[in-house]
Amino acid sequence: MSSSESPFQINVPEEKLTTLHAKLELATFPDELEDAGWKYGPPLADIKRLTERWRNEYDWRKHEKELNQELPMFTRDIDVDGFGTLNIHYVHKKSEVVDAIPLLFCHGWPGSFLEVGKILPLLTASSPEHPSFHVVALSLPGFGFSEAPHTQGFALNQYSEVSHKLMLALGYNEYVTQGGDWGSIITRRMASVYGVKHHKAWHTNFPVAEPPSWKSPLSFLSFLLTPWSAEEKAGIERTSWFRSKGYGYFAEQSTQPQTLGYSLADTPVGLIAWIYEKLVLWTDNYQWSDDEVLTWISLYWFSRAGPAASLRIYFELAGDCEDLGPSPTIPMGVSYFPQELIVLPAAWLRRLNKVVFESHHKTGGHFAAIEQPEELVRDVRKMFAKESPAFAIVPGRSGYT
Amino acid sequence: MSSETPFRINIPDEKLATLRAKLELATFPDELQDAGWKYGPPLTDMKRLTERWKNGYDWRKHEKELNQELPMFTRDIHVDGYGALNIHYVHKKSKTVDAIPLLFSHGWPGSFLEVKGMLPLLTASSPEHPSFHVVALSLPGFGFSEGPHKPGFALDQYAEVAHKLMLALGYNEYVTQGGDWGFLITRRMASLYGGKHHKAWHTNFPMADPPTWKSPLSFLSYLLTPWSAEEKAGVERTTWYRTKSSGYFVEQSTFPQTLAYGFTDSPVSLLAWFYEKLVIWTDDYKWTDDEVLTWISIYWFSRAGPGAAHRIYFELHGDFYDLGRTGYPTIPMGASYFPKELILLPSAWLRKLNNVVFESHHKSGGHFAAYERPQELVQDVRKMFAKGGPAFAIVPGRSGYA
Repeated sequence: MSSSESPFQINVPEEKLTTLHAKLELATFPDELEDAGWKYGPPLADIKRLTERWRNEYDWRKHEKELNQELPMFTRDIDVDGFGTLNIHYVHKKSEVVDAIPLLFCHGWPGSFLEVGKILPLLTASSPEHPSFHVVALSLPGFGFSEAPHTQGFALNQYSEVSHKLMLALGYNEYVTQGGDWGSIITRRMASVYGVKHHKAWHTNFPVAEPPSWKSPLSFLSFLLTPWSAEEKAGIERTSWFRSKGYGYFAEQSTQPQTLGYSLADTPVGLIAWIYEKLVLWTDNYQWSDDEVLTWISLYWFSRAGPAASLRIYFELAGDCEDLGPSPTIPMGVSYFPQELIVLPAAWLRRLNKVVFESHHKTGGHFAAIEQPEELVRDVRKMFAKESPAFAIVPGRSGYT
Repeated sequence: MSSETPFRINIPDEKLATLRAKLELATFPDELQDAGWKYGPPLTDMKRLTERWKNGYDWRKHEKELNQELPMFTRDIHVDGYGALNIHYVHKKSKTVDAIPLLFSHGWPGSFLEVKGMLPLLTASSPEHPSFHVVALSLPGFGFSEGPHKPGFALDQYAEVAHKLMLALGYNEYVTQGGDWGFLITRRMASLYGGKHHKAWHTNFPMADPPTWKSPLSFLSYLLTPWSAEEKAGVERTTWYRTKSSGYFVEQSTFPQTLAYGFTDSPVSLLAWFYEKLVIWTDDYKWTDDEVLTWISIYWFSRAGPGAAHRIYFELHGDFYDLGRTGYPTIPMGASYFPKELILLPSAWLRKLNNVVFESHHKSGGHFAAYERPQELVQDVRKMFAKGGPAFAIVPGRSGYA
């Protein structure tokens, strides 16, 4: 289990930048219907502008340097049953508070380790007012600078295993987690498999809840009779939008990921469009700068396994998604952001999970750690604060001096 | 209505140069061990096809062949609310003067190319079978037809273009053959123009609504009738299509422009997306690399660009899922069932709701029937309109016989 940790600095080979530039020089664009706006996909003007910036003004080396400076990164080998050893890339920053709570931050798609950037200094900050955390943010296998699996069937249990083993390898025998998107699904599985012994509590901004079924007559009845609040109605509308209009990428990625993969591997313009569309539609009016967008997309373009590999999680976990398994029993914290993609009545979640912390925000979307870093950290701090139900849930690591 | 202009495909050298430059820079993903076709087209196929396209495939040779085999034209067709669109089409008359005017409509990812195998057979003269004057249009946004420039170009508009083209060619009364979107478009033509102009329609992509509880007797018989082996296989194929091979449909009907950026910038991107369908939607058809590349080159070099054609999914999305909304046509219908079609429903459902006068069930063939099985498909169409056949001489004065 213990293997050595190697410090890691992003250093994309010059040849990759040259190839990218050569492709961008040859970029060709479709036409656009009159007044299309965002109706059919990202507007032509946006994609042209981003392509031009990436080709010309955007300075990858500058952003690469900033990432290397701001995020202490490492790699280490993690052995996965049946899949051999995968070299995993991760951010690891310890708080000055010795007994800080070990916290694993788990991203999703099209996210990355980058999403921990804003919350990292906040989570690790020391204060008598709130708990502190030692933070680990891995790149999931096939994302960022982690190696991807080479054989088929790397599914939910495997992603969960990698994450858990990483924490153990870092000496965090007991830990908590924060995750959204696939990170929520993965940390939920960790909670079932490794909770209570190792995984002590989990927080998510992407709660997956099941509606009460007719099999549970009393709650189904209350479900039918309870008038929904304005927030709940809005949440259901948002969820309906996602399931009927925002689902295309999911349908393709979960059935023919490689078909799409050929595109994302060959055309940086295609990659911009595929990801930028989500960065805008899934957030709550977040004011992306072009360089923010391009850094995000560059991480996919320059990723160790290439952008096609990251799509496979949808295919491999399709079966898991149909049956996520029983709800975990360890304490759960949840933060509701109104422009998240799936927003279901909080009562449904409380019914089947041990929800000890809950917050409802007025703004924010799917990428909460980027859009609302202070609010998210405040929530996580509250969940583990003195007098809170999950205080000192990791024995000897209360997060306070 | 307006003049007809002969058309020859003549892609500018500059476009060929750009294609080659992009192919030179092609970069590929890795592949999982023993992936086969499970996740998408295999890497070896994609690399081989890309290499051939870059080096070895001779577009000019195939361009010349198309120009020689397919008499092509363009003409402006005015579409209410959309102005004039310049439409590209194949038009070949039979030597039989009173041949039946037939419009062939392709779908996606098809094209006018799909008529190639059937054209000499449909137009051939013989006392044994009827002959046809054939028109095969490129739908707006496909092939060398102009694409609409404004949103909302939907089923009625595609039907209008096809209908007006037939009228413009002097075919006041006509029949149609179509699959994929061609099915839906000719179906709409049948409702809008049927009886008066559109006299009968044949499809290899028959779709019908299942009997509902609202129609208790047929619903009951639906529940009680044991399905045949063919029907069971059809339901399996349909289930596979709906659950495993419909990702493209959801994306194209919600965010077509997002895809358009990739298709327009990367020929490899287009190749993967299309080649996957050419293989898994056909019945073990032995594509040559050059066949595949010609098919995809037509999209790459299309007049509206490779990002335009699939907007049809967005604009017609509602129409696809609600056949009943526009009612069922009453004109005579012919249906050919091929076992590797994508949606295969019990033929009883079709017969219940349509005026089915001809039906055939094949033992082989898939989604691109005109391309895979031109002889079989032509045989079916001939039978439908033959002397003694159910739709004989349905176009007055144009029986298709000398």
